[in-house]
Amino acid sequence: MDEPRPIPYWRLLAGVNRTQNWRRLKLAVSQSRLHAFLMGLFVVGYAWLAFVLFHKGLQFTSSFPGLGPVLIERMMFLLFAFLFLLLLLSNVIINFTNLFRNRETHFLLTLPVPHRVIYRWKIFESGILASWAFLFLIAPLVVAYGTTHDAPWHFYLVTPIFVALFVVLPGVLGSWAALGLARWLDRLAFQIAAMLVVVLVIVSISSWLQPETVTDEMLETRVLDVVDRLLARTRFSLFPYLPSFWVSSGLTLWVEGALMGTFFFGLVLLSHTLFFGYLAATKSGGLFFASLSAVNSRGSGGGWKFWRRGSGAGQALGQAAFQPKLLDRLAKWFWWGRADSRALIVKDIRTFWRDTTQWGQSLILLGLLVAYIMNLRYFSHRLTSDFWIDLTSYLNLGACALNLATLTTRFVFPQISLEGKRVWIVGMAPLGMRRVLLTKFLFSTAVSMTVTMILVATSCAMLSVSIDRIVYFTVTVGVMSFTLNALAVGLGAVYPNFREENPSKIVSGFGGTLCLVLSFLYIVGMVTLMAMTSRWAFGGSSTMAFWAGWVGFLGVSFLLGWLPLRAGIRRMATLEV
Amino acid sequence: MIEIEGLTKCFGELTAVDNISLTVPKGEFFVILGPNAAGKTTTIKVMSGLMKATSGKVRICGIDTEANPLKARKRMAYVPDFPFLYDKLTPTEFFRFTGQLFGMEEAAIQREAGVLAERFSLGEFLAKSIEGLSHGTKQRVAIVSALMHAPEVFVLDEPMVGLDPHHARVLKDILRERADEGMTVFVSTHQLSVAEEMADRIGIMNHGKLAAVGSHEELQAANRDNKLESIFLSLTQDADG
Repeated sequence: MDEPRPIPYWRLLAGVNRTQNWRRLKLAVSQSRLHAFLMGLFVVGYAWLAFVLFHKGLQFTSSFPGLGPVLIERMMFLLFAFLFLLLLLSNVIINFTNLFRNRETHFLLTLPVPHRVIYRWKIFESGILASWAFLFLIAPLVVAYGTTHDAPWHFYLVTPIFVALFVVLPGVLGSWAALGLARWLDRLAFQIAAMLVVVLVIVSISSWLQPETVTDEMLETRVLDVVDRLLARTRFSLFPYLPSFWVSSGLTLWVEGALMGTFFFGLVLLSHTLFFGYLAATKSGGLFFASLSAVNSRGSGGGWKFWRRGSGAGQALGQAAFQPKLLDRLAKWFWWGRADSRALIVKDIRTFWRDTTQWGQSLILLGLLVAYIMNLRYFSHRLTSDFWIDLTSYLNLGACALNLATLTTRFVFPQISLEGKRVWIVGMAPLGMRRVLLTKFLFSTAVSMTVTMILVATSCAMLSVSIDRIVYFTVTVGVMSFTLNALAVGLGAVYPNFREENPSKIVSGFGGTLCLVLSFLYIVGMVTLMAMTSRWAFGGSSTMAFWAGWVGFLGVSFLLGWLPLRAGIRRMATLEV
Repeated sequence: MIEIEGLTKCFGELTAVDNISLTVPKGEFFVILGPNAAGKTTTIKVMSGLMKATSGKVRICGIDTEANPLKARKRMAYVPDFPFLYDKLTPTEFFRFTGQLFGMEEAAIQREAGVLAERFSLGEFLAKSIEGLSHGTKQRVAIVSALMHAPEVFVLDEPMVGLDPHHARVLKDILRERADEGMTVFVSTHQLSVAEEMADRIGIMNHGKLAAVGSHEELQAANRDNKLESIFLSLTQDADG
């Protein structure tokens, strides 16, 4: 009798993960219909609003005779070039976690599943995780591009095929980069390398985006030359060996009706996707296992080193391990603070620093903010009208506050949940959960307030606003830091998730979504209020309106910070884990 | 049958497993003991394919685990101290999944999983989501899924952790029965009573080396001591400690 054909591993893995994810989704919907409704509303609302805005923007741009189509085409090339870079970065981070820090991967390795199948499955999973959000964000823009150009119906069928082929390339390259990083760099080497890369990127962006001097006379007489010089900075997106160039060329040619051109670029893309996809799917299993073994060996080595006993070297190592480190010595400077609170802060800093994924994300966010602020100095030279200076200064306040809200939601909100199963350690300690919560709040507020106030003061200085306005904006963002941190810590304690160890999954729950939505509404509302009641901006308002605005701002800030924090403290007092 | 030949595993400058050689014949119940960081888990990780050896070889049923990892893993099963399970599946679904990975037919999966689930009193949990089960119940699910395909070599890391006395007894009985039928059992534990009661041979590791290997009686004779605890302590006591 013939033996039954075994079910392909790929199908089994896909089946079991599909069942898992479907049940997770059903559970999430049934646990909180409000959360599901809010998420659905956001998805539909974003898609609609983004499409309308992009459509209007593109129509406006295309109304410039001669210049409009050039700008729009370059925008498409830039869009896919940056998408490629972002997808690459995202794939490196997610592949690293998924290949080397994932329990399913370790489980599968002990089963008769070939390494290449595990690797294939994991990069497929990582590719989806890394790409879906970016694709969701750009989809309205691509649709708006199609409608602005009256693209035929088949444009909307061809585009997903091009994009699907395109995302494979950063997925594969990102996974190979993750394999290399895992194999050759330990945590410290990686952190140093990441910092150097971020500094290098900031410096490069700052020098790259230095503005061209354009005089009024040039604008009057040599428009094409000016446009050419402005677009020179974006010429990198036309580099013909970039996969983004093939997608952008294919789609823009399709809209123009040059179908053979699209066909050519489609084949270029397909051949590269098949080639690299084939290499990843069939030839990278051995590399994956070598990297995984290196990661596992490093992980085991640390604990082994610490507990090693019985030899002189081992004893010396043990004694050295108990020597106070730099952070412990720094903590002693804060002698006026309570020792247990200092210990908690030192523990939190260490945990954060040693989790490269957490640390890397905050570095990217701060790096973007620094690059943005450094470029404001060029921006301010262009602003001659008071209206634009006022608008830019308030938009700048909003941008810094929104960045802060992203940081507080992403890193401060999950703090209580991350104590997770370890909560008994701090919970049973004499400092009590109330002070645990307050210590986390005060520490995160102190750090974020300092960083944001410096950034806002610097950005205001870059915009060349007066000193009284610098003080005004800096104090405003200081108050916002208090509120946003209190909101994040408070809601984090009210809606803890002790089961989950992955902070990004904790944030994606109801509490995290509520925190983000409230933070954003607060920022938009308060920046609008402050702008409307400003003494200087937009024609200036009366002194009474100014003070009324401030009282309103302080009142809302206090309530939105204090109420969740108080609820969090109460929740901690009755916490059962 | 497990053959470990000159196995060495280094973590940078540190040698976690230092040139150990050991043969565990077919049908033997072998228990490995040792203090924390003696190298037991590292040895198991190399055996089960989670790490490459720095040097040396491991063969499962005569198959080199590095040269032919798939063939070797088809013949063995491994249950760690905190096993991974898909939390949104039910135990039945999990059994089907692992059974299919080992190429088992549906009828065989149902038959084997059914018998084992009954012995481990999993009947009432079979249709429940794994995430809601206690640690001990999850451990039982992992053990059933590992035993289902009748592995020739079964490696367990601290299998009794989380199991209540009744199910610890069931596990011991099943392991003994399977060993008598020819399955090689390799257990790492800190519970000396398990070694005393169950092991055909005991290995004691310290500082990455095998300090002693033999049956309980052989260890007693060699160390002139009746109690495994004092033998263990004398072998793992540091000379300068």
